[in-house]
This record gives sequence, C-alpha cells and structure tokens, in this order.
Amino acid sequence: MSHADLSEHRMMLANSVADFARGVDLKRVRRLSESKAECDRKLWSQMAELGWLGVLVPEDYGGMGLKLADMAIVAQGLARVLLPEPLTAAAVLAARVISDGSNEALKSKLLEGLVSGDMLPALAWQEAAGTLDTGNVSAQATPFEGGFRVNGTKKFVIGASHADGYIVSADSARGMQLLWVPKNTAGATIGFDMLADGRQAGTLNLKDVTVSKDNVLNSGAAATNSVACALDHAAAIASAELTGIMGRSLEITLDYLKTRVQFGKAIGSFQALQHRAVDLYIQQELSGAVLNDVLTVLDEEPDAKTRSAAASRAKARCTDAALLITRQSIQMHGAIGFTEDCDVGLYVKRAMTLAAWLGNGTAHRRRYAKTEILEGAAV
Amino acid sequence: MSATAQQIDYNAMSDEDFRKQAREFFENEYPDELRFMPRRLSWEESKPWWLTLSKKGWLAPNWPVANGGMGLDPAKLIIYWEETERAGIGRMPDQGVTMVGPTLIRFGNDEQRAKYLPKILSGDNVWCQGYSEPNAGSDLASLRTEAVLEGDHYVINGSKIWTSMAHNATNIYVLVRTDKAVKQQRGISFLLVDMKTPGITLRTIKNIAGGEEFCQVFFDNVRTHKDNLVGKPNEGWTIAKGLLTYERLNIGSPRRPLQAFEQLDPLARELGLFNDQGFVDRYTQLKMDLNDLGSLYQRYVDKVRNGEALGPDISMLKVFAMDTYQRLAELLLEAGAEYGALADEITLGGKKIDLMTPFYTSRPGTIYGGSNEIQRNILSKYVLQLPN
Repeated sequence: MSHADLSEHRMMLANSVADFARGVDLKRVRRLSESKAECDRKLWSQMAELGWLGVLVPEDYGGMGLKLADMAIVAQGLARVLLPEPLTAAAVLAARVISDGSNEALKSKLLEGLVSGDMLPALAWQEAAGTLDTGNVSAQATPFEGGFRVNGTKKFVIGASHADGYIVSADSARGMQLLWVPKNTAGATIGFDMLADGRQAGTLNLKDVTVSKDNVLNSGAAATNSVACALDHAAAIASAELTGIMGRSLEITLDYLKTRVQFGKAIGSFQALQHRAVDLYIQQELSGAVLNDVLTVLDEEPDAKTRSAAASRAKARCTDAALLITRQSIQMHGAIGFTEDCDVGLYVKRAMTLAAWLGNGTAHRRRYAKTEILEGAAV
Repeated sequence: MSATAQQIDYNAMSDEDFRKQAREFFENEYPDELRFMPRRLSWEESKPWWLTLSKKGWLAPNWPVANGGMGLDPAKLIIYWEETERAGIGRMPDQGVTMVGPTLIRFGNDEQRAKYLPKILSGDNVWCQGYSEPNAGSDLASLRTEAVLEGDHYVINGSKIWTSMAHNATNIYVLVRTDKAVKQQRGISFLLVDMKTPGITLRTIKNIAGGEEFCQVFFDNVRTHKDNLVGKPNEGWTIAKGLLTYERLNIGSPRRPLQAFEQLDPLARELGLFNDQGFVDRYTQLKMDLNDLGSLYQRYVDKVRNGEALGPDISMLKVFAMDTYQRLAELLLEAGAEYGALADEITLGGKKIDLMTPFYTSRPGTIYGGSNEIQRNILSKYVLQLPN
C-alpha cells in the first residue's frame, strides 16, 4: 500500500468514526453511574460490523490487520464523545494477548468472537496498584493432569462488567500462564468498584478454578512478553483517547470563551484567559505530535525497550495534558463548569480514569527514567 | 562565488548523497574550537568560515542559484540545517544571508540585488537589523524613527535599540515611519543604510552576562538614497512580517537546549544526583519535554520538507522551546548547588562544566524575536480566534 493510499484510507476511517460519533448522546454517559450499562451490546455489534473491533486482528482471523496508527484514529474519535464501550481494553489490550497466543484453536475462537462482537474478553493481568511490571504475579496456577487449578485475585480489570470471560495471568512451576476463564466458571467471582466516570473496575477472585488444557492461551516467557507488549500498545491507544478528550474539552471551552459575556464583553477577550487557552492549546498540539511519533515507532515493531520507552512518552504527555486541559476547562467555565449539567465535568472524569489506567504520568516517567536514564548513567 | 558551485544541481542528488557531502564538508572544514559554542560567534571569529562557505558556494543555501545561493529545495535545505546542527556550527552574524538576501530576492529590485547580494557573499558587507526602538519593543508597529523624502534622499531621525552586533556591521536595514497620517502598520517603510553614513552614532549596551552584543543606533539627519527603499513606500510592515516564520522554526530547534543538557549529565554524575529521586524526577520530566519538543519541531520540519507554508501556529514552537530551555538552564544551576553560584566555568572530576552560560543564553530567548507573551497573543488571535 503506497503512502498516498494509506492517507486516503485513514481519512475515510476518520470520517466514518466522526459520522458514528455524531449519533452519540452524552446523556448515556451522564447516567452511567446509575445504569451501569457501559457496554451496549447492540452498539458493540455495530462497531464490530464497521470493523473497528478487528482493526488490529490479523486478516486470517477475520480482522483488518491494520496498524496502531489506524486504531488510534478510531479510539480518538470515539473518545471525543466519551463512548464508554471497552474498545481499548478489548480490541487492543486483550486482542494483542490473544493474537500472540500459542494455542491455535483457542486463539481462533477468541479472535473470531472478538471481531464479530459476540465474545467480549477482558485481560486480568494486574494485582497491585501503581505497577507496570507484568512478570510479578501472585496468582498461582497449580498443574494437574488435565490443566491447571488457579487461585488468586486480579484487580482493576477494565471492561469486565460485560465481559464473557477473562484472560488471567498466573504463576506456575512452569512459568507464567495465560488462561482463559469464561464468565460463571465455578470458583470465579467478579466484584466491582465504580470508577469516577461511572464505569466499573472489576476485581476477579479465583478460588480453585479449574482451567482445562484447551483453555491455556500461552505460557512462559512468551506469555509475559505478550502482556508487556499489550500494555504498551494499550497505553498508546489510551493516549489517543486522551487526545480526543482534551481536544473536545478545549473546543467546548473555546466556544464558551467566545460567547460568555462579563464586564460587557466576551471573556475570551481578556488576556489572562487568552494566554491560558493558548498554553492549553500548546499542550494539546504537543500531545498530538508526540503520539504521532510514538505510533510510528510502535508500528515498526521495535525491541521491547524501545517500545516501552515510546509508550511511556505518549502516556506521560497525553495524561498530563488531558488532566490539565480538562481541569482548566472547569476553571474557565466558572461555577457552571462544576455542575453536573455541564459537559466539561464528564470530560474531566474520563480523563482521570484513563490517566490512572495502565500507568499514570508519574508511573510512566519513573519507568522511562529506569530504562532510558538510570541504566545508562552508571550510578 | 565559484563557477563550479553554480553548476551543481544539489536538488538532483539523492538525499543520502547530499547529506554525506554536507557532513564531510562540515566535519572536515569547520574549525573544531568553534564547535558547539554556547553563544553566538563574533564577526572576527566567523569570518574564516564565512569565506570558506562562500568559496564553496554554500553560504546561502536558501537563495536561488542565480543569486549565488545553493537553490536548495525544502527537503535539501532541511538536510543542510540538520547537518550544521550535527556538526555544532556556530551562529554567525548572518542577518545578510538569512534576512537581507531573502528580502531583496523577494521584494527588492535588480539594481539592489546586484549591488548588495555579492557583497554579502564576499563578506564585505555585514548586516544588522534595526527594528526595535526604546519605545517600540513588543509594540513594534508604534515605532517612531522617521524618514522624510527630501529630493533623492530619505532623511532619517530617531534611534534603534537591541541591535545585535551593530558594532560589527557595515550596513543596517531599518523599519522607519514614512507616513504618520495612516494606521500605524500602514505607514512603515523598509530602508537600507550604510553604517558609515554621517549622522549615525552607536552606543554599546552591556547585558547582564557582561557581553556587549547589543547596541543602540542613533540617526541624526542620516541621508540614504531613495534607491535604498525596498518595495514600495509604506509596505515595510508586510515585508518584515513575511520573513519571520523561518526564523521561528530555527529558534524552535531542540539543538540549544540539548547542548545545555549535555552539561547536566556530567554534573549530576559527579555530585551523585542520580541517587536522588527528587532530582531524577525533575531530570526525567525535562528530558521527556525535550524529546517532545523534538516531536513538535519535526512536525514543522516535515511541513517545510513537503513544501507546505508555515502558518502563525508555529509561534507555539518558540514558546515551548524557550520555556523548556530556560527550565533546563535553571535545573542546571539548582543541581550545581554552591557551584551554581559561581560566575565562571567550573572543573569537576577533571571535566569542565559551564553552568552559568546556558542560563544567560536562554534568558533572553523568551524576549527576542517577539516575546513569548506576544507569541501567545498571536496564537490567541490568529489560531484560536479569540475575540479582541
């Protein structure tokens, strides 16, 4: 595919996402904490039909076999209207781990289900807060003849509330295992904590859960590496979501600055607010430039160190910029900005939950420091 | 300018070949003692390299071949710049090449081009810029130095300030008021003046770093022939504005802050600061800011490479670049603790480390070429379109 073709196909993708987004009403997100309906399976099927759930899935498995730069277009466009469906959690984080799986039969089944929208998987990798270390797992998988028996607790599972099953990482005498645990499996119970934006973070308890050999997705170093890679890719796409959020939040705020009149003129004519708006705009543009570079690096499939450094650059910048822009959006709206009726509050809350997910700014700067600065500094 | 230089079509070369040629030339011919200087070069320091470039036909990469330049297309021009940065080539008193040449090529007439361009290339004329005035800094359009046409001559009265390197210069280009009756921007003209003209006096201004790069230039009934008017009368503002975007791209390059960063590494190692999480956090933030500046800069470089025009949004590059540069220079002093208060270069662990120069070099960066506040006004008005 030539470069010109590529641009054209990305333009078409962006247009179809924008068309879809125009039909989305923020009412649903506003009521999310009551409805708890963060994944509308009918809408999810429509997204599947548009091919968006399979952007990153190889063509052999029914997907589009495209790049992260394409996925970013979809994620950014849908984040502008705060779509709560677990697109990044399922179609990037889980999809990557499944695509890397060594169990061909299971891989086919899960990928085809994901692409069609019929099967919603969630990756349950995390246990402690504030870590990006995928290898340090307490959950235990004890081998028996037919497979493994699993015990442990997985936390902060995003996209779990409507999931049909979980991909669980667990340590064993044979190294790390990635295991497919369908919803309602005996011994597997899921509880939820509500996130600030009304979505749900799952806590998966596993007590003597039996996983047959057929449901072992991947094992050993390959399993650990695939989760690390998935985290980096998902962090980059979450960064794309953050650029969508900051972009829309700044648009709303600029409109307000142009129309809200105080002291006899539009408040956007006051230099204090103009300069602040400019500083927010600079952060937005910086985020876009960094994200673009990072996606280019990731799509070249570099070594793990380069990949993680790139993902950290995107997540650190986009997180901090989105938090700054959305919080300042409240400030520049004044009191109305702090009300439930005003849209900017919804953008602040989604920015906060995406910021905390997959490593916040501090976590990513610390990780970057560890591999890119301290290891070279010979201290 | 050499005859052979004019015959080479650099744009027909592959990017790799051109880069290789530029790299070898800059590596072999540029004086090593002037590489990666933390300040601008004086004319005296610059002259040998100026003449070397001139002889090879490489002094004016952005001028058309017909005018003695290299005639590089945007992609090759970017390579030229990248290679000068890579080789650590210093900033010369280059107003003739960067400002006067392009102005005359775009807005001047044949006589002016024939008279002035060869002397820029030969190093016989060194130009300085007369824009700011004591009462017209950020509000440049309010300038009051006036020029009145008497017979064949414009008679200039007033003064220009912050004129970098004026004491090295043989010529000055000035913005002057030629019509007081119209809106400020519309009554300004662009004039060329020989610094030896009777009535011109100079006062050097010492800056806080102790250097004397700045001057104030006084004009007392200074006569310049009307042939030295560039463009039409009262069109000077448009001419001056048209030249600023490439300058902002240059100012936004991560090169200078990167040089300052290279002082921070050995300092931090010697003082054991990489064991201090507080320091590491600030260091990492700045290092990532610098990388992100690189991404933003690259976006504009790619635009130039693709032949796209640069719009007013490029002001953001200057704002972020200079802000990052200053924060970096400040961390350098903070990290140095007591060393950070010493006036001169220090020696630590056998290495010379220059803590103070990045501070003095970065400080005026948010003031010159349109202060960061003016850049924000530009972004607010022309990009965000916020009301007045």
